[in-house]
Formats: sequence, structure tokens, C-alpha cells
Amino acid sequence: MAATESGASWVRAAATLLLGCCGAALTSSVQDQAEQFFRSGHTNNWAVLVCTSRFWFNYRHVANTLSVYRSVKRLGIPDSHIVLMLADDMACNPRNPKPATVFSHKNMELNVYGDDVEVDYRSYEVTVENFLRVLTGRIPPSTPRSKRLLSDDRSNILIYMTGHGGNGFLKFQDSEEITNVELADAFEQMWQKRRYNELLFIIDTCQGASMYERFYSPNIMALASSQVGEDSLSHQPDLAIGVHLMDRYTFYVLEFLEEIHPASQTNMNDLFQVCPKSLCVSTPGHRTDLFRRDPQSVLITDFFGSVRKVEITRETISLDRDIPGFESKLPKDELATEPLKYAEQLPVAQIIHQKPKQKDWHPPGGFILGLWALIIIVFFKAYGIKHMKHVF
Amino acid sequence: MAAPLVLVVLVAVTVRAALFRSSLAAFISERVEVSSPLNAWKRVVEGLALLDLGVSPYSGAVFHETPLIIYLFHFLIEYAELVFMITDVLTAVALYLAIQEFNKVVFKKQKLLIKLDKYAPDVAELIQTPMEMHYIPLKVALCYLLNPYTVMSCVAKSTCAINNTVIAFFILATIKGSAFLSTLFLALATYQSLYPLTLFAPALLYLLQRQFIPIKLKSESFQLYTMQYGALYLCNLGVIVCLSFFLLNSWDFIPSVYGFILSVPDLTPNIGLFWYFFAEMFEHFSLFFVCVFQINVFFYTIPLAIKLKEHPVFFMFVQMAIISIFKSYPTVGDVALYMAFLPVWNHLYRFLRNTFILSCVLIVCSLLFPVLWHLWIYAGSANSNFYYAITLTFNVGQILLVSDYFYAFLRREYYLTHGLHLTRPDGTEAMLVLK
Repeated sequence: MAATESGASWVRAAATLLLGCCGAALTSSVQDQAEQFFRSGHTNNWAVLVCTSRFWFNYRHVANTLSVYRSVKRLGIPDSHIVLMLADDMACNPRNPKPATVFSHKNMELNVYGDDVEVDYRSYEVTVENFLRVLTGRIPPSTPRSKRLLSDDRSNILIYMTGHGGNGFLKFQDSEEITNVELADAFEQMWQKRRYNELLFIIDTCQGASMYERFYSPNIMALASSQVGEDSLSHQPDLAIGVHLMDRYTFYVLEFLEEIHPASQTNMNDLFQVCPKSLCVSTPGHRTDLFRRDPQSVLITDFFGSVRKVEITRETISLDRDIPGFESKLPKDELATEPLKYAEQLPVAQIIHQKPKQKDWHPPGGFILGLWALIIIVFFKAYGIKHMKHVF
Repeated sequence: MAAPLVLVVLVAVTVRAALFRSSLAAFISERVEVSSPLNAWKRVVEGLALLDLGVSPYSGAVFHETPLIIYLFHFLIEYAELVFMITDVLTAVALYLAIQEFNKVVFKKQKLLIKLDKYAPDVAELIQTPMEMHYIPLKVALCYLLNPYTVMSCVAKSTCAINNTVIAFFILATIKGSAFLSTLFLALATYQSLYPLTLFAPALLYLLQRQFIPIKLKSESFQLYTMQYGALYLCNLGVIVCLSFFLLNSWDFIPSVYGFILSVPDLTPNIGLFWYFFAEMFEHFSLFFVCVFQINVFFYTIPLAIKLKEHPVFFMFVQMAIISIFKSYPTVGDVALYMAFLPVWNHLYRFLRNTFILSCVLIVCSLLFPVLWHLWIYAGSANSNFYYAITLTFNVGQILLVSDYFYAFLRREYYLTHGLHLTRPDGTEAMLVLK
């Protein structure tokens, strides 16, 4: 009996050990998952999609933007978090042979319009000023919520711009331009106002890479459809509608995005491979030097989708401060400054106990003496010396 | 005549005090017609505040007042309203006394000319009588004190009032005959704003007349007196300028005050002619046109001196009007000063031809200034052309006023010497035309 008892106790010990290991393994896997939970650092997603061209023959730019809009909505970003700016109305344009539709694929395969498209800035409201105001948040108080970019420092923002551009500028509405310097400064304002966590900037215009050359704010990743000196080309004309429907780059990006679903683990490196020169004729470019994380670890859904990470677990997870992989987003020198506080707007104490104004300046003695001497001389010259005896 | 003058002064002071206490004061002091960059009260306060902070008030383009104004307001800034009311009263009293003295001079001269039979026989109705001249000083004081332009200028606390006081004292000193005081106040007036320099000629002419020195270029006594007067004037000016140097121990005030007046860098709209031209002019022409515009102010002195050498006080009036039309930053305060003189030429009324249109133009333009300003700046439905049109019309009205009075004056003089009923050599009635 002693052997079985010792054996049983041995088994029990082994079982406990095993259970303990399993438990440890499980908690560690939950811990890993918890780590993963915090890996990307963002809690909400926004998208700013801008089409800057008007006129019927720029149908493809509107179709570009609406395709990205559609993908982004499909992957979970709600309309309240999308600022859609379309410079012209193609769906109800009098020249549209298929009213209320905007097709992105020839033979009318894919209608990207539909009846749930919410355009926030339409027609002449799409101006450089409004675009920069949306980005920086410097908006008049009467602007409705749907026209605001209410992002915070945990927002990942996707900014997609399309239209006609050149080396260093993007044309808005055929009448004004935004330059790459302005855009870089707007992004820097956003960074300083803590309006984004990470920003993905995609631009589909001619010489698009020039637009991201000047960025200098951290956490920005940029993609462009063509390099400086190259033109971005359009994809297919549709003979029934009579215009080119899409641009090549966005067409292939759309194709790529159609395969993404909210749980995809596809990362940015795949997006960089979309539309090689053979398909796109122009060379797409990208810029990741300002981005803190490795593009390999950045999921597409970090920007294109609004993935809420929900994991149901019965385990207790201790959220201790030093979770590895979650480094501070602020650079070291910024941490060294004192905590921000409001400057005293109304120095009440000074106003209540107002002392009389100190007259710090006094005219020099020589001046006063000279002036009064002259006045006395004039007086006596004018009125004669005989008045002296009345004075003294 | 003291009692009515005191009454007028009291009424004027009441009106100003009432306006100071009302909410209109803030509105009026912001109007560009009343305060210009040269004489706005805000700038005086700003300059003094800069001085208290240890910075020269002339650094930057805010303060364009002379150091004597700094000295004056350094002590009197809390009593600013009182100071401006007192300056207005002083101006009115000075003008009153000056015109009283002038009436005596005119009357004496008239008597002399009648005795010398210089007048034609049938001009009895043109001769001025003491009865009608008795109330002119009071009317002048009234005209100055209760002129809406003066009241607005005072309520806005524009230092134009101080300039007007100095010029009024200059006129008083000249008409009383004191060369020293006249040069002193003229030097002060020139020191304050550059343009009263042109009043040198009429003052000299008047004093020469008073000394009975004939105005001939070759005459020795003429040259001697002119030299004396000129030397006195320059000495006074020099002393005042040097004294100003000692206030702040710098010559900064010269470019800030005189450079500013002459080069017109600030193109804020006002009732003058400069701002619009220079706002739309190309850079490389602006020097030329600045010179042209500034010469325009000084240019009329010599021809007028030749024509009006027998009538220096009228010359002074015309010159003051020309200054206030063509100066670089005119305000309604400048206009008020020469308008105060209009009662002195009441006897010219029958020869004035444009009274109706003039009064209409001046009143309507004065009323339209704030309207078009509002339309331009606030409503956005007009533009600077509208406001400049009214400015132009207002100035044309003033020029019309001056030329009308000039013509009437010359006409009266002609009638006095040649009789009222002019006939041609062959006996038919003739008309007098200004060529």
C-alpha cells in the first residue's frame, strides 16, 4: 500500500506540477495576448479621404476616393469617423449616363456609390483651407460634428488624397494648390496638438512622392503612386460611361483591400508591393523612416479598419507597467520637460488689488529747467520787465 | 462782450462734457476722419506707456508726436479730457481776441482809404460798418466751439486740438503785432506739424503792413525786417528742436515726426488725398509722387503772396484752408480751424456764388463718411473706391469753398476801387469775370 500511496502522491505531485505548468503556460499565453493587445497603441481609427478634382473627366478621382471609402467602411470605420471630401458630384452629374452610380470597374461591375455614402465636404467646400482646418482642428465653432476630425493622441488616421498634382503640390478644384511644405506643417501641428497616434498618408497623383518628401513629424508612413518626374496613369476607360473609371494605383490597392477582412494579419509590407511597375507603369513609393514601428508589424487593419480588440477571458491579467514591446511613444527629451499646465489667463489677484500705475519715466531735470527758463524769458520779453515787481 | 463769450464757452464745455460721458466717445475716437496716425489719442497713451517701460516711444511706427507733447501729457494724462476742453476754450478765446483786433485794423484801414478817396463813389453798401462787425468775434468763437467737427475732435481727444491752439495763438500774436511772439508760436506750430511753415509769408506780410514798410523786393527796410523775422523764427525753431533733444537724449523724434509727415508711410484711409494714391502706386514711383504731393501744399504760397499782399489775413485764411486740404494726414479738426474764420468774411456773402451747392456737398459728404466706411469695412459691399470718392468730393467741396471766397474777396476789392456798376468803355454794362 505504501508504494501505491507514494506512487499516488508522486502522481498527484506530477499532476499538480503539470497543471501548474499548464496554468503558467496558459497565463503566459494570456499574458502574451495581453501584450499583443497593447502592441499597436491606438484605440480608435479615423479616415480623411479627399478628392480634389472637379469636372466630369476627373470621374476617376471621385471613383478612387469612393473605393477607398467603401473599403474603409467595410473594414469597420464608421461614417462618424470618416471625413469624406469630394470636389464634384459624379453620381448625379448631368453627364453621367448611369445616374446615382459611380463605377470603379469596367463593365459596371462595382458600384462604389450606393445609398449609404456620407459626403462631409462636397463641391466647393473642398478647399485647401477647409482641408487644413479639418486636419489641424482649427475649425469655427459652428462646424457640425460630421465635418470635424475629432481625433486624439490614440487615433490612427488614414489620409488618402487623389487628384492632379505636380512636383511639390496638389491641385485643389482647378484654382488653388496645397504644397508639400504646407502639408508637412499641418501634420506637425497635428503632432504637437497630439491629434494622432500614427498616420498613414496615401496619395495617388502624378509625382505623388514629392508630397511626402517634406514630412518631419514622427509616426507618419506615406505611400505614393508615383515618383517625382513620373505620371500616375489611369486604368481603364469605360466606353459606356465615356471616361476613365479609376487610376491604376488605387485600382490595385482596391483589389488588394478586397481581400482584407477585419481579422487579417496582412501587414504593410504587402501593401508596399501592390502595383509593381509592370502593372502600374509608374513606380509607387513609400516612406517609413518617420515611423516608429517596423512596417512588418503594422497590420493593414491598423489603418484601414476599425478593429476593436475584444478578447473574452476568464483569467485575471495583471496590467503591470513594464509590459515589453510597449515603449513610450514620446522621445526622451520631450519627457524631460515639466508637465503642461494652463497659463494663468486672468490674474485676478492683480486686478483686484490694483496699485496705481508706476510712472517710471520722468523727464530729465535739464529739460524741465530749460523749458521753464525759456517760458519765463518769453513772458518777460513779451510783457516787459515791469511785471517783475508784481511777481516778486 | 465778455458775457456772451462766457456763455458760449459754457455751452461748448457742457456739450463736450456730455459727450465725454456718453458711449459715443469711444465710437468717435475710433473714426478715421477724426483721428489720424499723427494725432490719435491711443497713440499718445501707447507712447507714454512705452516710455514707462523704458523703451523709446519712437521705436516702431506707433508714436508720431513731438517731445513737448510727451512732456505735457506725462503730467496731465489723467486729466486728458479737461486738457482738451481747456485747449478748445483757449483756441476760441485766442480767435476772439484776434478777430477783435483785426476788426479794429480793418476799420482803421477802411477809414484811411475812404479819407484818401481810394474808393469809388457808389460803394457805400460795400463798406463795413462797426455795427455789423461788432458781433463777428463772438460769431468766430461760436463757430469754432460749436462746430461739430471741433466737438468730435475734442471728444476723440485728438491732439489736433493742441495744434489748433498753437495756430490760434500765432494768429493772435501776429494780429496784435508782436513779431517775437508771432515767430515763437509759428515755430511751435511748425514744430508740431510741419505745414504751418507756409503761414510764415502771410504773417510777415501782415507785420510789414503794420510797420508801414512797403512791400517791394528791393526796399532795404523790407529786406531788413524780413531777415529779422526769419532769423527770429529760425532761432525759435532751433531752440525748440534742441530742447526736444534733451527730453529723450536722442534725435529719434525727427524721422518719427517729420519723416513720417513727409514720407507718408501709413496709408490708413482718412479724409485726405494721399492714402488712395499711394496704396495703389508702384514702389518705384512713390518717391516722385510723394514729392509732388508735398510740393502741392507749399506751392500756392508764392502766387497767393503776390496776389494777396495787401490782404495778409485773408491770405492766412486761404493758406490754412490749403494746408488742411492738402496735408498728408488731415482730420476734421484741421477743417474746423479755418471754418471758424468764415464769419469774418460775412460781408462777402453777396458775392458768393456756390453757397448752396457747397453746403450740400460738405454736409452730405460728412454724413456719408461713416456710412461708406461701414459699407466698406464691415458690410463688405463697397470698397475703397466708394470711400475715396467721398473723400475726393469733400476735398473738392473745400477747394470750391476756398476759391469761392477768394473770388468773392477779389471781386469786392475790385468793386471798391472801381465802383459797383461797371461799364465798358462804350457805356454798356460789364460783368466781372475771374480769368
